[in-house]
Amino acid sequence: MTEILQQIINGIAIGGVYVLIALGLTIVFGILGIAHFAHGSVSMFGGYLTFFLVVQQGLPLVLAIAIALVTGMVLGVLIELLAYRPLRNANHINAFIVALGLTMMVEGANLQFFGAEQIVIPTNASRVFDIGGLTLPELRLYVILGAAVLIAAMTIFVEETKTGQAIRAVAENRDAAILMGINVQMIPLVVFAISTALGVAAGVMVGSLFAIAPGVGEGLVVKGFAVLILGGLGSIPGAVVGGIVLGVTEALAAGFISSAYKDVIAFIVMIAVLLLRPQGLMGRA
Amino acid sequence: MLEIRDLRTGYGPIEVVHGIDLDVREGECVALIGANGAGKSSTLKTVCGLLPARSGQIRFDGQDITNRKGHAIVQAGITMCPEGRQVFPGMTVMQNLRLGAYARKGADLDWMLDMFPILRERANQAAGTLSGGEQEMLAIARALMSQPRLCIFDEPSLGLAPKIVAEVAQTIASIKAMGMTILLVEQNSLMALRLADRAYLFEAGEIVLEGTGAELQTHPEVVKAYLGH
Repeated sequence: MTEILQQIINGIAIGGVYVLIALGLTIVFGILGIAHFAHGSVSMFGGYLTFFLVVQQGLPLVLAIAIALVTGMVLGVLIELLAYRPLRNANHINAFIVALGLTMMVEGANLQFFGAEQIVIPTNASRVFDIGGLTLPELRLYVILGAAVLIAAMTIFVEETKTGQAIRAVAENRDAAILMGINVQMIPLVVFAISTALGVAAGVMVGSLFAIAPGVGEGLVVKGFAVLILGGLGSIPGAVVGGIVLGVTEALAAGFISSAYKDVIAFIVMIAVLLLRPQGLMGRA
Repeated sequence: MLEIRDLRTGYGPIEVVHGIDLDVREGECVALIGANGAGKSSTLKTVCGLLPARSGQIRFDGQDITNRKGHAIVQAGITMCPEGRQVFPGMTVMQNLRLGAYARKGADLDWMLDMFPILRERANQAAGTLSGGEQEMLAIARALMSQPRLCIFDEPSLGLAPKIVAEVAQTIASIKAMGMTILLVEQNSLMALRLADRAYLFEAGEIVLEGTGAELQTHPEVVKAYLGH
């Protein structure tokens, strides 16, 4: 029983990272209807940048994360303006191809700037708590708390603020949103800024909890889309539930069956869920 | 209040409105009637900035608003209750109403809920779960939330049961009685002409007839083609 709880806790930490990635993907998909494949690589850029600022520039970790978040927001805005906006009225396949090209560009840039070495963001969080036989490393606790705070902030933003409601309105009906007086040119910029900031946060978590290396971002974005489909396309609660389910499934599979097959088992569970609920866990039928 | 001069508009390579002149004066209710595809809704969409004008001019309160961005037109004081209602289905009735007031500061929901008691009952229900008639009421209330100076209705009775159509007509009449300036497009020509002070008859993208609501109700051409008796 303790072992199961232990794996569930481990799964929630990695699940939190999946949720942050998936939230960024889901709001972009909801507004623009595009699969933003470069999201994982951009997120890893944030992780790399944090590493660079801490290790090479000697900045405190918190400051480095703050700079990476702001840089991420600016990068997100630029990506929307330069890469996706010109294709607004074009066929969706065009945005799809741009997204793939952008992934390669960002991966290439990461390689160029930060090298091919695997990096781990150093933190001082090395304590390990023991709660009733469960081991909870301090860092894992911060990751879970950080993800929870960001998920809560995001939910409050979307449900309670005027801009958040405008984002939902544009996602549900763009023309009607214009008639409400919403500046629909501005909304995608806000969405990309938020999406990329969430991605950078996830990148920092991956970089400190595990490691960042070329290809990690691409792997993560695939997981992110899996979470979107599992949770229900465009649904924010769906991304949260889906991410946790995927993370916990993986951890349980790794702990009790085989860590080599954890992805296979996670995807089998995902396929099984979709066979029963094709609209996703929280999707509308 | 609203002056349209020699307006041309259309979709892609196809022009659907071929140079029309149209006026709405303060406090008036003006109806546009005519067959499906005659260019009535396209005219409204162009006024609201959802469809670009090819040429001509749209003036509101003396200001040129031709091809301004849609949200700027809302801020100028024009709002539209769109064809097919177009409520935000996944959002609650209250959230829909608050979005109606997006372009201005604060939102006085109470008077709106007093005016539409059914919306008070449904306040926390997702808009997509309302009946067609309730959704129409929500769309009208949402449009009024911006406190517009000109309120445009595009096919408010479309797809509604006859009993509900009468309710919608009643609601528009009471909005008119509040002193609101109204521009109305309606397939139900009789309802439109009864509500309207003045009306324009559209045919194939042109205005072919203009007159008071009462005049057009008895005009032989209108009676034959649109009122069906």
